[in-house]
Amino acid sequence: MAGLTLKRPTRPRALISLVPMIDVMLILLVFFMVTSTYLNLDMIPAARRSDAPGGAGEDSGGTVMIRLGADGVPVLRGQALRGPDLTGALAALLAQAPLTQVIVLPSGAATTQALVSVMDAATQAGAVRLRVVRLEARP
Amino acid sequence: MKLNRPSPPPYSETIVALIDVVFFLLVFFMLIGRMDATAPFEVMPPVADSGSDMPAGGATLSVGAAGDLALDGRPIAGPADLQAVLAQRLMDEPDLRLRVNAHRTAELRHVLPLVGMAEALGVRDVVLVVTPSPVP
Repeated sequence: MAGLTLKRPTRPRALISLVPMIDVMLILLVFFMVTSTYLNLDMIPAARRSDAPGGAGEDSGGTVMIRLGADGVPVLRGQALRGPDLTGALAALLAQAPLTQVIVLPSGAATTQALVSVMDAATQAGAVRLRVVRLEARP
Repeated sequence: MKLNRPSPPPYSETIVALIDVVFFLLVFFMLIGRMDATAPFEVMPPVADSGSDMPAGGATLSVGAAGDLALDGRPIAGPADLQAVLAQRLMDEPDLRLRVNAHRTAELRHVLPLVGMAEALGVRDVVLVVTPSPVP
C-alpha cells in the first residue's frame, strides 16, 4: 500500500536587511573618527600632596638650583647648560649625593616646553627629589 | 524571426566584505583613540621622554599658547572662574586628578599659577600632560 506523504512547504528564509546595520556602523565609525584624539599622551607629576606631615628627609642631601631663563636656557651654578650637558652635570652631582634636592626656578616668560625639558633632564640624571618654585609678586 | 537574448540575472554583489571592512575600521578607531574632551583652541603638549602612562579620569585643564583656559573642553574666562569651577568639582570629587594640558609654547606665568591655585584648593594630584618624543 502506497503511503501518502504530505510535505509541508518550506518556509521562506527570513530576510533581514543589512542596510540599517551598515548605516549604524558607518555612523559609529565617523563618530569615533571625529571625536577621538590620536595623540600619545603621557604625564609628569606636577604636584602631589602627601598625607605625611612635613617634608620627609628635608635635610638629607644638599640642594641644587636650576634657573630657567626667559629664553628657555637652564643655568646650573652660573653655567648655561642644555639637554645632555645638563643631564650630565646633574648626574655627576647626584652621583655624589643621590638625595640632592633639585629646585627649578623658572622665569615666567619661559615656555612650558623649556620647563618640561629641564624636568626631563633631571629625571634622566636620577633626581628623585625635584621641586619647581616660582616667585610671586607681593600684593 | 526575432531572437530575444535572455536578460542577464540581476547583478548581486555581496556586501559582507564591506561590512567586514567597516567593522574593522570601527574597532581600530575605538582602540587607538582617546575619548577626551578637546579644547576649543589648539593645544600641543610638550615633549618629554620621562613621562609615564596617563590613566583615564580626572579633569583636564587646557592652557593655550596665549593663556586661554578650558576645563574639560569648556572655555573658562579666567583664573577666578576656574577657581570657582574647580572648587565645585572638588566638592563632588575630593580625590580629583587635575591634568594640566598646556601648549608647549605657553608661558609659565600662565601655567604655574594655575598649578599653585589647584594645590591651594586641595587638589591632591596635579599632573602635566606631555607627549613622548617621536621615535626616529
